[in-house]
Amino acid sequence: MHHAFKIDKNEYDLGLSRSEDGYRLHFGDATVPVNLHVEDDGTAVLTVNGRSERVVIATRGDDVFIHLGGAAYQLRYEHPLDRLAAQAQGGAEDNVRAPMPGSLVAAHVKAGDSVVRGQALLVIESMKMETTIAAPRDGIVQAVQFTAGQTFDRDALLISLQAATPEAAGE
Amino acid sequence: MNSWPFRSVLVANRGEIAVRILRTVQALGLEGVVVYHAADRHSPAVRMADKAIEITGKTPVAAYLDGEQIIAAAKSAGAGAIHPGYGFLSENTGFARAVAAAGLTFVGPTPEQIDLMGDKVRARAFVEAGGFPVAPSAIEDDDPATFVERARKVPLPLLIKPAAGGGGKGMRIVRDLNVLEAEIERARSEGQRYFGDGRLYVECYVENPRHIEVQVLGDAHGNVVHLFERECSVQRRFQKIVEETPSPALTPELRAKICETAAGIARKAGYRNAGTVEFIFGQRGEFYFLEMNTRLQVEHPVTEMITGKDLVHEQLRIAAGEQLGYTQADIKSTGHAIEYRIYAEDPARGYTPTTGPILKLRTPNNVRIDSGIVEGGEVTAAFDPMLAKVIVTGVDRDDAIANSDRALAEYVLLGCQTNTAFLRRLINHPAFIAGDVHTGFLDANPDIAAEPALTESTLHKLLAAAAISTRPMRDVADTVPSLHAAIGDWRN
Repeated sequence: MHHAFKIDKNEYDLGLSRSEDGYRLHFGDATVPVNLHVEDDGTAVLTVNGRSERVVIATRGDDVFIHLGGAAYQLRYEHPLDRLAAQAQGGAEDNVRAPMPGSLVAAHVKAGDSVVRGQALLVIESMKMETTIAAPRDGIVQAVQFTAGQTFDRDALLISLQAATPEAAGE
Repeated sequence: MNSWPFRSVLVANRGEIAVRILRTVQALGLEGVVVYHAADRHSPAVRMADKAIEITGKTPVAAYLDGEQIIAAAKSAGAGAIHPGYGFLSENTGFARAVAAAGLTFVGPTPEQIDLMGDKVRARAFVEAGGFPVAPSAIEDDDPATFVERARKVPLPLLIKPAAGGGGKGMRIVRDLNVLEAEIERARSEGQRYFGDGRLYVECYVENPRHIEVQVLGDAHGNVVHLFERECSVQRRFQKIVEETPSPALTPELRAKICETAAGIARKAGYRNAGTVEFIFGQRGEFYFLEMNTRLQVEHPVTEMITGKDLVHEQLRIAAGEQLGYTQADIKSTGHAIEYRIYAEDPARGYTPTTGPILKLRTPNNVRIDSGIVEGGEVTAAFDPMLAKVIVTGVDRDDAIANSDRALAEYVLLGCQTNTAFLRRLINHPAFIAGDVHTGFLDANPDIAAEPALTESTLHKLLAAAAISTRPMRDVADTVPSLHAAIGDWRN
């Protein structure tokens, strides 16, 4: 069965199977004996290719956070079905997301407005700087998710766009 | 001190500095009160305080800037003094006056001293009039008609700055006097655009400068001492991230000179409180007054570690009207201390802030941690992204750096990205190890901020740990008998 994790923008396909005394990681052409033993205090001992080291692991939803060798990493599990669905839909720019955490200064559009590509939609503030968020394509604003003064995290959905209807396009 | 004029101190701040101040207040047997916005309800400061009073505001930050509400909270809690920490209301003259008018003690300088040092042009003129070094300059307002003529006499290269400016906007470096007038006109129009004010000033530009500052303490009786310097040259986006003492740049002679200069400035101001005199320090050993911060500084712990003085305790004693009770000769420096600011940010993406839950938090032993976060908490965009400070000591600088690498490696925070791996790359850089840094060091070495590529071995470890920790993957593996898995083609 194919599984995948994402680290940053990179996706890694892998498999996992049982062995007599642990697991095997199948990755690329490699099959690597691995195991993970979690202690009561939450720290864990990771064994890869017979070599063991302490790691700290936390999970939340599909995210796995790992502290390894003095650095922290974040991996996101990609559900096989979601990946298929995403491939089928293609990458429509329907959602305008926050490039960084911040707060909304002003919304120049409201639900129902038609916008053209490049049109200023929102002004956000982050790191004491204001940034204008422009429409990635033509469309109709379905919803503006925040009101002025509200804060949001990175990648938060700010505005959802809906394709202009064929009638509207024909006018 | 046995008879404090106040029995209870309200901390008008949040995060790590609120915890830091409460620690000393409570150790002195005084009652520690804190104000908090709902976003900080579960913070360590609220947990630790003897009394915690909720304040409200249009935004969380606005609540901590609402002086009237905070003074009312102090009165209702029976607090006799207010410690403002740093940031927020710490250098707000109106607040300092209102605290005094309410019959409470402001743990800080006089309102006049805040005013003087808060106005950059007045502060500079005050320092210059005392015979202390300021960068050669020409200020347009002094005599607009002769501004260009005076600017020509400032040693090259020179820097044109908007009088109303800040944050590097509208600044222009001039290396050739032939373009001076054209650059002045550009800077003027930028100043007009950014700040609605086209007035300018020109000063000698110090190339690759260091930022060196000196901690001072002054009491209400005219006694002033310095507690040596802090080197704060490693900065990103004009903000310090690593501070240390002693500075690797100073000879004993230069140290005495810069520290005495700072103490002299404080003495001339009749300064009362802990304060910091900041200098710009050139590669040839020349230094100029930059500004004076009239409050406790973020990086004060490194000074505490080498001098053994508790600066919050000193601030409270001074605010209570006590004499310092010691002289310059009594202040000794031992060993080396380095502070690292742990930020929720992504250095590889221009140091943009990050947010997320704090799922796991483990801190290293044998180092000082000043922290405002707890496991189970959440890092949000509502406040400054500084989460904690790791303060490491050593018998000398090399020893402190070696201890730092271990401490930063053992600082575990999972759920929200931090800059700890970046800090480890920084302190392992040959220039940092040699102490050869300046305020543009990180811009000149972008490789330190860049995320290094994963090695194959690290990738195997990460994927193995993640796969076994992920239920759907482990469940599938566990349902297939090992022998079958071993002989079958796992790819199907």
